[in-house]
Amino acid sequence: MTSEASTEGGLRLSKAVNLLLPVSLFLLLISFSGVSAQEVRSGWDLVDGGTVSDLHTAEAINGEIWAFGDGGIMLKSLDGGSTWIGNVIAEGYNWSHSDSGYNSILIATDDGVTIILENIGNGENDSNDNIPIFPGQFPINDVALTGSQEFVTVGENGEIWEFDGDEWINRSFGIVNDLLSVSFLDGEDVGLISGEEGIILATDDGGASWDYRDAPGELSTVDIVDIEYFSSIRAYAISEDGHILKSSREGSLAVGFVWSIVEIEREYPVGGSNEFVKGGTELDYDASSIKVLSQSKIMLAGPSGYLSLSKDGGNIVSRQMIPVSNNTSFNAFAMQDGFRGVAVGDGGVILRTENAGSEEFVGFEVADFNDFGQFVDYSKERLMDGLVATAKIVFFGILMGFSLGIILSMLKTSPTTLKNVAQTNRYQLLIMVVLVPLWAILKVPVSVFNIIGVIFGSKKRHHDIGSNNWVMVNPLDSTLISYREKAAQIAASEPLNILAIRAVGLVLISFGVYRILSNLDEISALNLDGWEHIYSPIGAPSAVFWIILGLAIAVLGGIFLSCNGDFSIRDLKVRKTEFSLNPWGIRPLNTIATAYTDIFRNTPLLVQFMFIHFGFELGRRMQDPGLMLFNFEYLQGNANFLTDIFVVYETNPESLGYGRPIGGILEDRAYISAIFALGLNSGAYQCETIRGAVAAIPSGQMEAGRSIGLNYMQSMRLVVMPQAIRICIPPLGNEMVNLVLNSSLAMIIGYAEITRQGKLIVATTFQVFWTWGMVLVSYFLITWTLALFLRYLEERTRIPGLGISGGA
Amino acid sequence: MSEIILSIKDMEKTYVGGVHAVKGISFEVTKGESLAIIGSSGSGKSTVLRCINRLIEPTKGIVQLKGERINTPASDINDVRSRIGMVFQSFELFAHLRVIDNVSLGLIHVRGIGKEEAESEARKVLERVDMLDRVDAYPGNLSGGQKQRVAIARALAMKPEVMLFDEPTSALDPELIGSVLETIQGLAEEGMTMVVVTHEISFARDVADRVLYMDQGLVAEEGPSSIIDKPKTERMKEFLSSIND
Repeated sequence: MTSEASTEGGLRLSKAVNLLLPVSLFLLLISFSGVSAQEVRSGWDLVDGGTVSDLHTAEAINGEIWAFGDGGIMLKSLDGGSTWIGNVIAEGYNWSHSDSGYNSILIATDDGVTIILENIGNGENDSNDNIPIFPGQFPINDVALTGSQEFVTVGENGEIWEFDGDEWINRSFGIVNDLLSVSFLDGEDVGLISGEEGIILATDDGGASWDYRDAPGELSTVDIVDIEYFSSIRAYAISEDGHILKSSREGSLAVGFVWSIVEIEREYPVGGSNEFVKGGTELDYDASSIKVLSQSKIMLAGPSGYLSLSKDGGNIVSRQMIPVSNNTSFNAFAMQDGFRGVAVGDGGVILRTENAGSEEFVGFEVADFNDFGQFVDYSKERLMDGLVATAKIVFFGILMGFSLGIILSMLKTSPTTLKNVAQTNRYQLLIMVVLVPLWAILKVPVSVFNIIGVIFGSKKRHHDIGSNNWVMVNPLDSTLISYREKAAQIAASEPLNILAIRAVGLVLISFGVYRILSNLDEISALNLDGWEHIYSPIGAPSAVFWIILGLAIAVLGGIFLSCNGDFSIRDLKVRKTEFSLNPWGIRPLNTIATAYTDIFRNTPLLVQFMFIHFGFELGRRMQDPGLMLFNFEYLQGNANFLTDIFVVYETNPESLGYGRPIGGILEDRAYISAIFALGLNSGAYQCETIRGAVAAIPSGQMEAGRSIGLNYMQSMRLVVMPQAIRICIPPLGNEMVNLVLNSSLAMIIGYAEITRQGKLIVATTFQVFWTWGMVLVSYFLITWTLALFLRYLEERTRIPGLGISGGA
Repeated sequence: MSEIILSIKDMEKTYVGGVHAVKGISFEVTKGESLAIIGSSGSGKSTVLRCINRLIEPTKGIVQLKGERINTPASDINDVRSRIGMVFQSFELFAHLRVIDNVSLGLIHVRGIGKEEAESEARKVLERVDMLDRVDAYPGNLSGGQKQRVAIARALAMKPEVMLFDEPTSALDPELIGSVLETIQGLAEEGMTMVVVTHEISFARDVADRVLYMDQGLVAEEGPSSIIDKPKTERMKEFLSSIND
């Protein structure tokens, strides 16, 4: 007794230690999570332009950058914005609008006064004397050079004027709203105008005639403050409320016909934080100017120090750090290429960048991956996603593998032989094929009802049936018993019906032979020769399947046909070799399970992954009918935690992904295939592990179980399996850890688990040592936690005196 | 003449591989009678016992329990086994269950009795074999004699019509044998019908009503327990003298 007590104490202590380790590790992880905060640096450099006047507009052309502002101020930089030469042109005019092209820059005031600076970049036009000033006709909001070296201005109350070099032509056509921005495709006669109340106009004849274009209906009361015709396939605009509008060429429709509001998935606020504002169509900050750098790279500027960049057409917008006060209002960009250029703003502020304003050290943008903290900041999110993805396939894989392993090991150890099959009489057949399945189906609701009964206070159980309680009995119980009795009576009164068995045998042979013959043609049509026939299961899968099955059925039929009522052993003599073979001793269930394990244990898992996903397309075959079953319309009112396991749909009507699967097993084909590949493979191995443990249980345990009247399944379930599972926890742990490690192969079918994420991280950061090291650590943490859990489970379920465990 | 509980007629058993272990034996056991089967190793004693509750299927012959033939496909083998208690040489307690659960398992899952009732029933039986103080122990923490007494209780709990003992003391240390034999003797005195395969000649002589001496798969000598003192056949004489040495 004392030794037992001390053992208990020892167990408790080590249990506590086992639990303490992962918990403390977890706490350690959490406590370190805030350490990697870094000094924030801006991607913009403040340069001195030598003025404090507000700068309203800027242009970059022919290697020079020009900026214009109040009081006729005009700044020029020949070195990409580092140093500036100041000048004043036409003092008294506040230059607010500009456009450039044909080696010229066009500038204009709000009153419509315009100047064209020509021959930019050839060094000739350093003197600004004698430049013709075109007097203003009316207030304007924007100017743009057209494709024919003319220019167009837009203004209040729908004013559109075109200047053809000599005189002004009124192109207004009855619009009363203010027009706010105009943009032409460089060197072309196609242009766009945006204005109040969501107006978008377009021209394809250099501004002579304008047509309405459909802006999205949501913007009918919103002003579109800036528009840029970037290329023949892309144009962008921005509204006063922060909508980013995008237009692409769609088929034969040119840019500008179809406009969509960009779904802003994430908006990073200023600084290096990884926190972001999620969702929506409006920016959190006001923007007044948009600059398109490439088809999908846009920069935005606005009041309150707003400068931001999106590299994916506005889906992810990250606000940038600036080296000046947030009170600065930014008015315009002048970019020499996709990276280098300046932003100008009020108070003579000029910011210069060589990296489109991206901070090198912060945010999700380009980070310095030689700094481990930055590297971790970048990669942790991906690794965490991978960890979750791995955990998902591992969880379902283990679930599937273990259930399959138990079933297969039961099949493999099943004692049912052909002799038992042949001795089955018609009532037993009826019981097995019809009654037992029905009984099992009814058992579920009955058990649920009874469990509810027990929970709600009725302590009466099974044996009290008939007394005053409300325990439900399976309605098929009595039928089953009476049929069992009948079956027993038949077995006793009727001798074995050899004739019937032989008749069945004959039918089986005929069926088998028919199946073989009818499928042979397909095999010969494959034109295989000699050893090539080993590949015929791939060339004609169903034919080979039917031929093998036909052979098995024919052999079975032959055995049945040979029945003479004596199921004892038969010695066969082939030539001079004697061997004993008892066909009645063949165990059909064992044969099926053996075939399964042989296939899955004798092929590489990697190939199984590829065959299952790409070859057999299991993912597609499961996904399509699955999604049809759990379709969006059906689940809209009926989704619950069970259907969530299969599929979750995006149900927010405002989301772009509305009605599309966003979660659950059916969401991703690779996910489905990965679960099945892992589960099917692991099941084959776990089957052998469990079978080994069952074999290790002394046969006397089964005998003892049977001797008190338990049937085979009861003895298995109540006596053998509880001991076998305890024995095989260590090797099953092996299998489960293996399954976790094998899950890395899922990357080959495109499933985004940790290893694949590692590959992606390497592709961005080139930090191979750190990346793969962190992937290793991630795997170690999963498997080690699993191993600790299994160790705990092993000690928890250990029975004193059962097995040699080193402890008790 | 009291009621015949167990009747065996011309039973034969040939193992796979051709070993002819039992070559046709017949005997009957009446109610309350205790029959001891003795014989040297390999004489087929254990095979006979296992053939009775069909842990081994007899190749030929008829086994009847209370006049009902039990070695046919017609008989419900699980029901039959629950009516025949069996005690094994190596105890075969369910190692993962406590003593009380070992005894009540059959009551719950074969007899369909509720857990609480089954446990109180099990306690009664355990009291009979003097094991009530260890109901919560696991088999691994019991001595050999205690294990065997729990095994007897497990068989007894099913209220069997006949009990089969397969060399119940062979695996025990000499000082532990006594308690088990006492228990079996107590059962015999209470009128339990039993068949005991044993090497304990003194036990056979004192407890058994009848002794059956088996040699090479056949009954060589049969009679009341007094034949142990006056064996008629040479083989039995040799066997007894070899044991007494």
